[in-house]
Amino acid sequence: MGDGRTPSTDSPGASELVGENLAIGYPTTDEPVVECENVVIPAGEVTALVGPNGSGKSTLLKTMANQHAAEFGRVLVDGQRIQSFDSKELARRVGLLSQENDSPASLTVEDLVSHGRYPHRGFFDSLTDEDRVAIDRAIELAGVEEIRTQAVGNLSGGQKQLAWIAMVLAQDTDVLLLDEPTTYLDLHHQLRVMEVVRTLNREEEITIGIVLHDIGQAARFADNLIAMKDGEPYDWGPPNEVVTEELLADVFRVDADVDSESDTGPHIAPHRALD
Amino acid sequence: MSETTDTSQGREPITRWFTEWFDGSLAALCSGSLLVVVAGGLVQVTFGTFSMTIAEAWRAVFDPAVLLNSQAWTAFLLGGDLPELSKQTLIVWNIRLPRVFVAIFVGMNLAVSGAIFQAVTRNELASPFILGVSSGAGLAILLTLVVFSGLSTFLPLVASVGGAVAFLTVYAIAWKNGTSPVRLVLAGVIVGTVFGSLQTALFFFADDIGVVQSAIAWTTGSLTGTDWEQVRMALPWTVVAMLLALVSSRQLNVLLLGENTASSLGMNVEKVRFALSGVAVLAAAASIAVAGIVGFVGLIVPHMVRNVVGSEYKKLVVGCLFAGPALMVAADVGARLALSPAQIPVGIVTGLLGGPYFLYLMRKQDQMGDI
Repeated sequence: MGDGRTPSTDSPGASELVGENLAIGYPTTDEPVVECENVVIPAGEVTALVGPNGSGKSTLLKTMANQHAAEFGRVLVDGQRIQSFDSKELARRVGLLSQENDSPASLTVEDLVSHGRYPHRGFFDSLTDEDRVAIDRAIELAGVEEIRTQAVGNLSGGQKQLAWIAMVLAQDTDVLLLDEPTTYLDLHHQLRVMEVVRTLNREEEITIGIVLHDIGQAARFADNLIAMKDGEPYDWGPPNEVVTEELLADVFRVDADVDSESDTGPHIAPHRALD
Repeated sequence: MSETTDTSQGREPITRWFTEWFDGSLAALCSGSLLVVVAGGLVQVTFGTFSMTIAEAWRAVFDPAVLLNSQAWTAFLLGGDLPELSKQTLIVWNIRLPRVFVAIFVGMNLAVSGAIFQAVTRNELASPFILGVSSGAGLAILLTLVVFSGLSTFLPLVASVGGAVAFLTVYAIAWKNGTSPVRLVLAGVIVGTVFGSLQTALFFFADDIGVVQSAIAWTTGSLTGTDWEQVRMALPWTVVAMLLALVSSRQLNVLLLGENTASSLGMNVEKVRFALSGVAVLAAAASIAVAGIVGFVGLIVPHMVRNVVGSEYKKLVVGCLFAGPALMVAADVGARLALSPAQIPVGIVTGLLGGPYFLYLMRKQDQMGDI
């Protein structure tokens, strides 16, 4: 295990998110697109969901955040069913950042981030000092101070993603679910996003579930991996156990070498696509 | 607590509140609009079949016999007998000014209603009438004038109720485990088409040119003959709808981040969407009751305001509260005086003013209607 990768399961403040006997479908499909008996996003750890396109990662993540109803099964946060919370109460426990986000172009970063306080505010409440502290902290954590007053429409894709991450940080949840936050970003911004995620997890003890496209990145930054194949979890555990040549061939249909001795997590050298 | 910091941290609450709701461009927009309203109002009270000089008109407007007289205000706002007044004062206060006030209310209601519907449907072409309100009101008006002529005294109420019923029909059609902006707009088209056809069909059964003209005045929107009774009718609903729009502007901002984001932030999107649409329909209905179906104001004013202050809804709603009346009062000057002594429906003028302005905006902006 590499740098500071010790799981902090014993931390009392962190929350755990569990899905049991889930079957998740869409109105347009007959069969459920995701079926899994047991999926755990352990308290105080970073768990990455990986798998090929269409393997059901995003659908599973949405269901875990109660943003898409499962046909069967239940999702529990710290042992309590997520449906038992009212919508704002749940939004103070579990945050979800979707893959694609759209906002008015003239909205400033600061205003966007302030909307993250929505679940903490009553209908008539204006921003309290506590809200302002949370907004400032989120802006600082996401490293968007210097673009704070700029309009979102004038930002690059990477800056925009960091601004949205700042918004979901201002939400101040115990569990944070991120759907492909690094896709379409340049390498610099990909690493910035992943560093923010790691800082959050280490310093704020936030439980993180993150869908990642890049299995190398997942292997490097996550404590746990859940590899999905055809809507079912194929394997899960620490990266150096999950990321194997066999998994890459079976799940990703890629012929690759894996160097599991590397100190930045298992290294993958892909060779060619398998038929 | 340094004065130089440009974040809102540490400022006095009042200043903080003020900066949250106002900024330079909004203040400019509001004062510009106010100027147009005052100038238009002055023209309206000065000119007409009984002509007076501007000085006379001003003196009548500020006549202490009205301004400081509680009996006069009771008569205006609650109905009742007017005290003895000079002829000028009576014409200005009893005939010409209430029409300006009604124009102000109608402009506010339509502009804010359009702004809300544009956010709810996330569609820059949305207007107060996108979810069937105008076709429902129009059908109700025609039914009243042609078929149930006994109900004519309740025409304003019938028109508003017709609009609200059409809106509920649209919602019911669009509902399928919840709604979506696109389904709502499509349901609006369906209801609009059917009700519009029925309305046109009813014109055939009108046997009297007077009925047809009256129907046209109602369905294009007119302020002819409005007086304090219309002010009394519109005022309470306008106040309620505008206050609700102001307090819910933050919900509109969050809704603009998209349904998924709003929902994961803990918003009950369906409930909020329905409630906000309800506020917008209330505003539209209040304006229909006193002026009929005035087109274009609710579509164009939110765009004009957005162009100046951006899409932050607190500022947008405040801007609409001022810019809507400006357009409406200016248009009514044209409607009342352009072909004097004949008066044309104000809805015709808003279309004639609004269309070219919309064209100008469209040519000037690279990106029209970014919400």
